[in-house]
Amino acid sequence: MRNLYLPKIVKIKAVEEQSPTVKLFRLENKFPKDKNGMVFIPGQFFLIGEMGYGEAPFGALSSPYEKKYLEFAIRKAGNVTNYLHSLQAGDTLEIRGPYGNGFPIDFMKEKDVVLVTGGCGIPPIASLIEYIIVHREHFGNVYLLYGAKTPDELLLKDRIERWKKSINVILTIDKPAFNWQGPVGFVSDLIKEIKINELDAVAAMCGPGPMMDALEKILKPLGISDRRIFVNMERKMQCGIGKCQHCTCGKNYVCLNGPVFTYDEIENAHD
Amino acid sequence: MLCIKESEINNFLEKLKENYEVFDVRNDLLPFKQYFLPPEEKIFEKKKNKIKAALKPAPFVLFGLSFYDLEALNQLDEIMEKPVEDYFYFQRRNQSIVIGLIEEDIDSLPGGEIVFQKINNDYYRVWFKSKKEQQWLKKYRKFFEEIKNLKITPQKSQKIDDWHVEMRQLLLDPEKLAKAVEWSENHPIWDELAKTCLGCGICTYLCPLCYCFSWEDKKTIEGESYRVRKWAACTLNDFAMVAGGHNFRKELKKRYYNWFYHKFVRGYYEWGKSLCVGCGRCHQNCPAQIDILKVLKTILSDYEKSLPAKNS
Repeated sequence: MRNLYLPKIVKIKAVEEQSPTVKLFRLENKFPKDKNGMVFIPGQFFLIGEMGYGEAPFGALSSPYEKKYLEFAIRKAGNVTNYLHSLQAGDTLEIRGPYGNGFPIDFMKEKDVVLVTGGCGIPPIASLIEYIIVHREHFGNVYLLYGAKTPDELLLKDRIERWKKSINVILTIDKPAFNWQGPVGFVSDLIKEIKINELDAVAAMCGPGPMMDALEKILKPLGISDRRIFVNMERKMQCGIGKCQHCTCGKNYVCLNGPVFTYDEIENAHD
Repeated sequence: MLCIKESEINNFLEKLKENYEVFDVRNDLLPFKQYFLPPEEKIFEKKKNKIKAALKPAPFVLFGLSFYDLEALNQLDEIMEKPVEDYFYFQRRNQSIVIGLIEEDIDSLPGGEIVFQKINNDYYRVWFKSKKEQQWLKKYRKFFEEIKNLKITPQKSQKIDDWHVEMRQLLLDPEKLAKAVEWSENHPIWDELAKTCLGCGICTYLCPLCYCFSWEDKKTIEGESYRVRKWAACTLNDFAMVAGGHNFRKELKKRYYNWFYHKFVRGYYEWGKSLCVGCGRCHQNCPAQIDILKVLKTILSDYEKSLPAKNS
């Protein structure tokens, strides 16, 4: 009997400060590749922590094809993340996974893709972008709409510059700022910049509350149907394997049936 | 048929104690789940950057499970096994021999490994799961008798009163319960119950089929770290709260409804059965005297009234 609760101890290869509250961790990878050469499916999550402090779920942001390391952006939010923020390159931490379903990458192929995310919701989307870039010729027009409260809170800025060579990137911030020339808020005006075939397009989302705004003001008017909008959900997580009940959401378990759901699946769920 | 005389049961248990730790659950307040999923259990320990999982316990015998408990155990075994095995549950479960003690009429084993079924004033019929248990019983053959044509007198169970009969009746149609509870989300009864319920979680702790748990990590001053698995209760405030303080089920009403929703809706769609065996512990021990049967009856009756066929 395999003990699925037993985490692997891995070395931290590098840590980079991304914003006042977010650090990027590059961890040694000890997980095998699947038959497609991927360590995980973009959108899947890992439970990261340390015995004595706890575990929390994080979506990987590195390329799923990268076998040497896994990367995560971790925001200081509670006990576990406070501890993780105290760690440096060379220290170790514990990780288990990957868990959940991930984005339906095969279904998304040969279609236009709109990716919408905000703040620290970028990791699973980032890994999806890395996947798309590897298979660029199998995707139509690809747009990333990424918003944050302030310009400082936009994460992965250097990667975004690299992505701009392969996909369209639209960055927004919530309130006007002196050092910001781009758009403010997920406003309906942004639709004009997005050229997709609405009958052959999919959307992927991950992020906090304002995302619903983006959904109403951008994705719906673009004409993408609810069943083709894939949302990466967040819930309290403990076991990661469908036992403990903390992450349930109506009839679904975010850890097993999710974290990626179609919008019509979650729209009518009672919680 | 293999039988055991009532007066021999205690001698049999005494004999078992020579080789096993024997737990008699008949007077336990907490349900049998505590032996496989303890209220608090150290599952991992980390010393000098090495993680050690808790070791399996010594073989033990769990004696005296009621008919309800055996059914619940059967369901809990399935839940912990699929889709992937819960390591720490089975580490304990695989070390156990569960012996039920029932009065109900059965035609197969409701759960556990061995069942003593009362068939008349003196004798219990012995049921066992497989050849393995049969072999095991042979080691203790002096306590058992092979009897032909034993007189079977129908037993009137003391544990079954009208409440249980009615509850069991409802549980025969889990599909209807699932539909009714799902339909009832906006029923005023949840507002009323949220005012009555203290949010203490006793119903979930005493339910043989509530198995929610949480991790709790600890660190000692000596530098050891460990992870503890503890019972959780979905009615408690922090059950769906994430770091940073956002609570996905902030209102007690939502949490209380979720308790019913798991038992009768999600549980049914997942396992084909309600996660309730009708044992009555939740209602007997609720400090606010909430009666699960009364709640279900109210919902079912209003649900039926809402159906178009009934209105026409």
